[in-house]
Amino acid sequence: MTTSSASLVEPPVRIATPGRLRETLRALLGQRSAVVGLAILGVFVFSALFANFIAPYPAEGSAAQLVRPGEPGRRAESCIHILGCPADRPETIFGTDGNSRDVFSRVVFGARLSLIIGFATVGVAIIIGTTIGAIAGFAGGFVDNLLMRLMDVVLAFPALLLAIVIVTMIGQSLLNAMMAIAIVAIPVYARVMRASVLSVKEQDFVTAARALGESPRGILSRRIMPNALTPLIVTGTLGIASAVLDVAALSFLGLTQIGLAEWGAMIGSEFNGIFSRPLIVLAPGFALTLTVLGFNLLGDGLRDALDPRLSR
Amino acid sequence: MTRFLVRRLLLTIPVMIGIVFLVFVLARVIPGDPCRAALGERANDTICNAFNERHGLNEPIPVQFALYLQDLAHGDLGFSIRQGRPVSELLIERLPLTVELGLYALLIAVVIGIPLGLLSAIRRNSIIDVLTMLVANLGVSIPVFVLGLLLQFIFAVILRDTFFGLPPSGRTVAGAPVVPLAVAWGLDGLGGPLRGLLDFVSNMYTVNYLVRFEWERFIDAARHMILPAVALSTIPMAIIARITRSSLVDVLGLDYVRTARAKGLAGAMVVRRHAMRNAMLPVVTIIGLQLGALLSGAVLTETIFNLTGLGRTLYEAIIGRDYIVIQGFTLIVAIGYVVANLLVDLSYAVLDPRIRLS
Repeated sequence: MTTSSASLVEPPVRIATPGRLRETLRALLGQRSAVVGLAILGVFVFSALFANFIAPYPAEGSAAQLVRPGEPGRRAESCIHILGCPADRPETIFGTDGNSRDVFSRVVFGARLSLIIGFATVGVAIIIGTTIGAIAGFAGGFVDNLLMRLMDVVLAFPALLLAIVIVTMIGQSLLNAMMAIAIVAIPVYARVMRASVLSVKEQDFVTAARALGESPRGILSRRIMPNALTPLIVTGTLGIASAVLDVAALSFLGLTQIGLAEWGAMIGSEFNGIFSRPLIVLAPGFALTLTVLGFNLLGDGLRDALDPRLSR
Repeated sequence: MTRFLVRRLLLTIPVMIGIVFLVFVLARVIPGDPCRAALGERANDTICNAFNERHGLNEPIPVQFALYLQDLAHGDLGFSIRQGRPVSELLIERLPLTVELGLYALLIAVVIGIPLGLLSAIRRNSIIDVLTMLVANLGVSIPVFVLGLLLQFIFAVILRDTFFGLPPSGRTVAGAPVVPLAVAWGLDGLGGPLRGLLDFVSNMYTVNYLVRFEWERFIDAARHMILPAVALSTIPMAIIARITRSSLVDVLGLDYVRTARAKGLAGAMVVRRHAMRNAMLPVVTIIGLQLGALLSGAVLTETIFNLTGLGRTLYEAIIGRDYIVIQGFTLIVAIGYVVANLLVDLSYAVLDPRIRLS
């Protein structure tokens, strides 16, 4: 009985069946930018997963074997054995930083941290943002106005400056920097979610579901969420790019822990080395740029593949 | 047009009051004792009490706000807790650099971004289009501080002794004198806001040297601006190029453009006379929105290039809990936002008569 009446109001929504998924994947792989983005990200995911095997030295703490014998305190230059570096010197690809740590190892381990930062930050922002957006869209009227004006205020501040204020308020650490960037990103997801709620709230299949006694929570999760998923995935992927970038910027300014194997922090603590030993600064810089580029390209590709209306 | 302008100006008043209030509250929410932050080791209860008394920090918060408003009405932005100097003096000394830098960055972004976007919209899917969009993607992906360092490495290390070599940091060669315009023009006795304005302009070094026809010094100051301005311009440039492209592609697909083509107008004419005007609306909006990106970028650019401007000062004030400086500088930023929005709205009215009339 219930099944037949439910099928009468079958909503025009995307349902994640295996066929649907395969179709989406094929569309995605047809996008040049998505393929390039996935390839770049693949490299970093690989180095994040297997950092322990790829990196010749640990990321944290100074490696005593990298201090040049007889020259304590001197930084080891880049030294690759097959390129003619004497075998009695320790092998380092990008050289070592001010604490005698191997920069190549730290860049490899940095992939792990940056990917976690990206996903975790955006994850938190999406959870809080979609909740606010859903409440605003559902409630309408005063609540909607209040919540969305609050979001406008957050958006009105320059993101990085607001994040600096928040980190100063809650204390300097990587976790707090991620929290600050998540807070700054909330309005974007609140807007996306609210727009999705508003676009389907008054449609017949939602009215029908309500008439059949479906709870607001059920309407939200079964009727509205599937419609909001596409814009959320696209915005979220592009959001990871800016989250990685912004957390790195805070790290660069010294607002996370000192000595963290995070690309932004590595650049921040050594940036004067650009004149004498550019590799220890440029290596983490390029890794950071490529990761952000990967997420941006993937996001663009996803948008074109999932939502043909948006593609231009 | 006048009515539009007046109405639009009146609308900014409640926004400004809201911002003043918000900035005041935000500055107070930052935990930590400003006295201990400012005096460090020397701080003890007696000294801090006197310190708080002197800076009005012992009063209840609402009273502090009232006093703050009263001072603002007199054009007084207060004294920096850490530096013991008037905030207005700090502003006149440090804001001009950031304004100068931001204007050059925006200029570069517009002058390169719009033509790139146009070209790739007209030659859609050509190699130019693909390359432009690749550059645009790179532009939004490379962090400002990484690009700044890369530019330093290329132009101040690799190309140092060549024709293309550029100075890596600072504003002028060491020891170059910067004479305030008021002094140079014999207006030393001048006081008040006019003097402030003149000093403000004097501290934009390129402008200062330019209006006094000191060509060599001007070229030196301009050369120091190039790298930071380019670093700061990439994100706005990439965004402007993307928006120009997508907006023009949209407009070129509209019926009225087809009509213009059908009546025999040349392709370039159609773009210039018919499509551009409509396509520019979103571009103008996005240019107005770049102020936030420029400010966030200024903190990082000024750090890399060893410049003391608004970004660096604000950053240090936040870290050092210098409430009064945070308030003063944020207020200026907020005014900047309001002015930018106003300019965007005005250019709408110029570009699209329908907005002016409604």
